Amino acid sequence: MSTETQLIDWRDKALQFEQQINQVVIGLQPAVRNIILAVFARGHVLLEGNVGVGKTTLLRAVAQGLGGDYQRIEGTIDLMPADLIYYAYLNSEGRPCVDSGPLLKHGDTLATFFFNEINRARPQVHALLLRAMAERSINAFNQDYALPHMQVFADRNRVEREETFELPAAAKDRFMMEINIDMPNSDAVLDELMFNPRFHDTDQLIGNMSNNRFYYQLNDLAQTLQQHIQTSPKLRAYALSLWKATHQPQHYGVQLSDVEMPQLLMAGASPRGMSYLIRAAKTRAWLEHRNHVLPEDLQGVFSVCMTHRLFLNPMYAYRKEQLLPELITGILNQVAAP
Amino acid sequence: MRILLILILLLPGCSGSINTPVSYFNVETPRPFGYVIGDEIPQRIIIETRSGISLQASSLPAKGQINRWLNLNQVTIKQSGQRYQIDLRYQVFYAPPTVKALTLPGFTVQFNQGENKPEEKMLSQSIPAWSFTLSPLRELVVRQTEQGEYLRPDSPPQLLENTQAWYGLSASLTVTVLTAAYLSFLYGFFPKLLRRTLFKQALRKLAGLSKTDMEQVLSIVHYALNTLNGQPLFYNQLSDFYQRNPQYRQISAKLEWFFNYSNRYFFSAGMITVTPDLQQIKDLCEQCRKIERGSL
Repeated sequence: MSTETQLIDWRDKALQFEQQINQVVIGLQPAVRNIILAVFARGHVLLEGNVGVGKTTLLRAVAQGLGGDYQRIEGTIDLMPADLIYYAYLNSEGRPCVDSGPLLKHGDTLATFFFNEINRARPQVHALLLRAMAERSINAFNQDYALPHMQVFADRNRVEREETFELPAAAKDRFMMEINIDMPNSDAVLDELMFNPRFHDTDQLIGNMSNNRFYYQLNDLAQTLQQHIQTSPKLRAYALSLWKATHQPQHYGVQLSDVEMPQLLMAGASPRGMSYLIRAAKTRAWLEHRNHVLPEDLQGVFSVCMTHRLFLNPMYAYRKEQLLPELITGILNQVAAP
Repeated sequence: MRILLILILLLPGCSGSINTPVSYFNVETPRPFGYVIGDEIPQRIIIETRSGISLQASSLPAKGQINRWLNLNQVTIKQSGQRYQIDLRYQVFYAPPTVKALTLPGFTVQFNQGENKPEEKMLSQSIPAWSFTLSPLRELVVRQTEQGEYLRPDSPPQLLENTQAWYGLSASLTVTVLTAAYLSFLYGFFPKLLRRTLFKQALRKLAGLSKTDMEQVLSIVHYALNTLNGQPLFYNQLSDFYQRNPQYRQISAKLEWFFNYSNRYFFSAGMITVTPDLQQIKDLCEQCRKIERGSL
């Protein structure tokens, strides 16, 4: 089968998979599209949103649909790195035993690792995740364990700030996307969510989803896809301008109200962040039936890939929620291509 | 014996004349009356010295205040050979209630004799003091009127002819304003005006380009559309663009074709440009021009 037909074949599967998820989790189409992009670009995803809007259900649906071994852990304030690697207990005969923890339980076939409420875990746990996410390997029991297929989905709610730890910049940077999950705003969808008993039992809802069992082929697919989708010199120039604009937005004419633009940013996008952006843009071009990337692909994923990588000066940090989206929109509106 | 007597009689005459350094000395002064406060009084001193004797300029009074009411405004020395012409210009600041006699103080001018040795006696010539009368500027009898003290103002001076200057100023101001306006137009300080000639300019730039300059052609049209939109315009933002500029909705099909074509040209490989494409882009630009003129 040629690469072209293989990619077309896979695109149909991906779109079908997206449709399945949209039937289980309704009213979240943009977020679902972004998750699909992250899955096929092999990037980790951080979900942020209010309580009970369907973050966990969405991630469970994705994990169920993808197939592959699935592990889940809840972030708590007393969770320590060792808890992810092993756990010690007394067995029924009263003898102490040590078993593999959630990260190691499935060995190298671990596919989806779901970290619920990641901001409740301590920085030590975040530090363990740094390596696991970037290199897809961890060191335990004096040896390295490779986790080639692992994809981390994490979520945090933005309602509470007590007993939580802000994710360090290095940990945030390892997530390809930070996706905001907002409540659906269509009345029909809200009505459906309230009164259709189908959405009341999430276990059954997700159980009904068919398992596509293509998870372990995704790494190869992603590699083919990244090589096959083309970027023209003009597009590269555009991406470079976008990158520079995340460091010095004032040079591109971006102006926000009540902000001294040269002092706004402490750090712009990292090289890793930009490579994730291009991976996601290529995947988006593929899903849009194209073999070349357009500026609209970059624009489509710019916000989800960049917002969590820009760090504001402490002076402006308290207005983060308002300034960051404005900054992202400003950059997209001011940088021209061609 | 008689000759000896004559010689003896002549000797004192010789010794006397050798002590006078000046062969000619004269002070020229103006009329000694009719001055009022603020008037300048010139005084010219002419001195001719004997050979080998020169005037010591530092012995002249220094420019500046001489006393409470007298100022020396100017001191000029003109020398031609042994002749010195010293011009002094005094100004009086005395406000007398009645006519008053005043005196310009005298002073002594000193001379150098040959190679002046310190032990030698200085030669000098005294300049006599000069008296003159100063009249009050104000009337003698102080009259009071209802408005207060009676003082008649001077007649106002006649104004200089300045029509020419006014013409010159207005002409140069007009030229300046026109130049500034043209410059600001070129720099794009009149966005509204510019927006109405955007496609006119684009058409002018497109005129000389061929299909081999397709990149430039597309960039020119993109630039015009971006400027019209106020920010870069992309294919997926066309619907917002039509909302802000509804008159362009009538050529939406052409605009969409243009954006698709531009996307294919810039971002996908293996695109071949043909002349009809260029013509189509020019047609689009013509139509945009008609819309911006309001004739479509």
